[in-house]
Amino acid sequence: MEPCTPSVSGGAEAVLALQENSSISVAYHPLYGPHDDLILLELDEKLLDDVIHQRVFLRGHPDENAVLCTQSKTYAVKFVGTSNSVLLIPSSNQVPEDEASQDGNQKKCDHDVASVIKSAPGHLELVEIAPKLDKLKLLLSENPYKLEDVSAMEMEEIETEKIGLYRWHDLVNEMQASEEELKSGLKALSAVEIGGYWRLVDESCIGMILKMLLHNSVLNDWMLSALDEDEVLHVLEADGFPRMIAHHCLSVFGDKVDKGEGRCVWRLNERRVCVHYARDVLREGKMRIDNFIDEWKKRVPEEMVANFHMLDGEVLKEKLGVETWVRPFRVSSLPSDPSERFSILFKERPKWDGRDLEPYIRDLSVPGLSLEGLLLKFTRRVQSSPEAEPVFSAR
Amino acid sequence: MQIQLKCSCGDGSCPEWAIVELQGVVEVQQSFQGQLQNLEIGKLCRPSSQEVYTFTVGYHELTGSKVPLKKPFLVLKKVKLMDAEQSSNTDSANSPKVELEVVGIIRHRILFKTRPKALISRPEPVVKATAHASGSIASNSSQ
Repeated sequence: MEPCTPSVSGGAEAVLALQENSSISVAYHPLYGPHDDLILLELDEKLLDDVIHQRVFLRGHPDENAVLCTQSKTYAVKFVGTSNSVLLIPSSNQVPEDEASQDGNQKKCDHDVASVIKSAPGHLELVEIAPKLDKLKLLLSENPYKLEDVSAMEMEEIETEKIGLYRWHDLVNEMQASEEELKSGLKALSAVEIGGYWRLVDESCIGMILKMLLHNSVLNDWMLSALDEDEVLHVLEADGFPRMIAHHCLSVFGDKVDKGEGRCVWRLNERRVCVHYARDVLREGKMRIDNFIDEWKKRVPEEMVANFHMLDGEVLKEKLGVETWVRPFRVSSLPSDPSERFSILFKERPKWDGRDLEPYIRDLSVPGLSLEGLLLKFTRRVQSSPEAEPVFSAR
Repeated sequence: MQIQLKCSCGDGSCPEWAIVELQGVVEVQQSFQGQLQNLEIGKLCRPSSQEVYTFTVGYHELTGSKVPLKKPFLVLKKVKLMDAEQSSNTDSANSPKVELEVVGIIRHRILFKTRPKALISRPEPVVKATAHASGSIASNSSQ
């Protein structure tokens, strides 16, 4: 009694459309085996369209946990095992042809057979997560755009070393984030695309351009709240700065004001300009607060008013004896993973007043978890009286 | 590095695969170890118009039902590209380039979550598979 070849009419369809009072034989496929190359991925119905239109990617290096990215979201990929026997039956028109079955000597079965190709040990599950963008700053800091590059640019882009330079597609390959999230990550870092490469502009370089811009505003009687783009760029170009970098400076320190009439007008953002000068003052490290404030106020442009509240998430105040000192502590330099973030914050200070802590955590985003939820999860909250400011410590 | 999920199914017409799921492990009788190909596991029956199914494996009968998956499963096939292109593939160093292709979708499973019922009272291994040879189990599997 030789085994007969399963008829092609079987497969998943026959199982799923089994009529009442009928039966189908379930058998091991001629190619039954572990088939590790067949993977089950549990997917939300709403992501199916993205898959069908091939807009879904798995990203990550061999040493990273893979993530799945659509155009706008990032998902962690987790394997969920099962102790059940999950018998996988392919669609009939896909059952891989076994060589033996092609040889016509074997008789066809007279009844339907559904063939099991493998027993699945589990499936992959997706959990929406925040994109992993911390590496972006690391990559772009390898080779930031500096003042020296300004002169190099003029010499018509010689194909010099491209070490530490990343094109868009390099970043897409490196980062575990969707393209939209990557775009906003680049924006948050104030990165700019120069000659096809995404780069950070060195702080002293952008500071120099800002200084020139402010100089010129005095010389030419420009209003800092209404800077004509063409005029500003023209003058900065004459001063030797590439137009693109000058434009980047406007976009870092200013906001575009809609004026219409084909003219582009920018308003310098008081807070961003003031924060820049505060960083400048604190470049050497901590200072007594009164010295700091004096020096800071001296440096900001006359039309602007420096206010200590602008420095939320930028500096920390601390009491040393009777004196109050300030020192730089930038939220932008902290990791975006909540558990790492809180661990660093509590290493910095074992106890945080709610109002001091807020600027250092408000940018954290975890899908499905509010800021309140994060505080509950990662901190212990103590409030001496209902009216008192809550104090947070490590959990 | 990144791997694109390839899908050549066209608009919403991925071939549908099926899952028959039962608790525990299907064990193959000693004499059939190593020659599973075409071996019958059991007979799947739908005795009535309801979505109730029986699965007869050897002398045991399982009762279960067809349930839709809360979220569909995609069946992905890992394809290793081992051709000449590999040398030009700079970003993944020496690991071969891999593609994932969508080969099917699963929306339903036939789930048997009850303990098997013995069809005859004779000591038997828990779950037993029988050779799919013509006639050999016909008398047991017909309901």
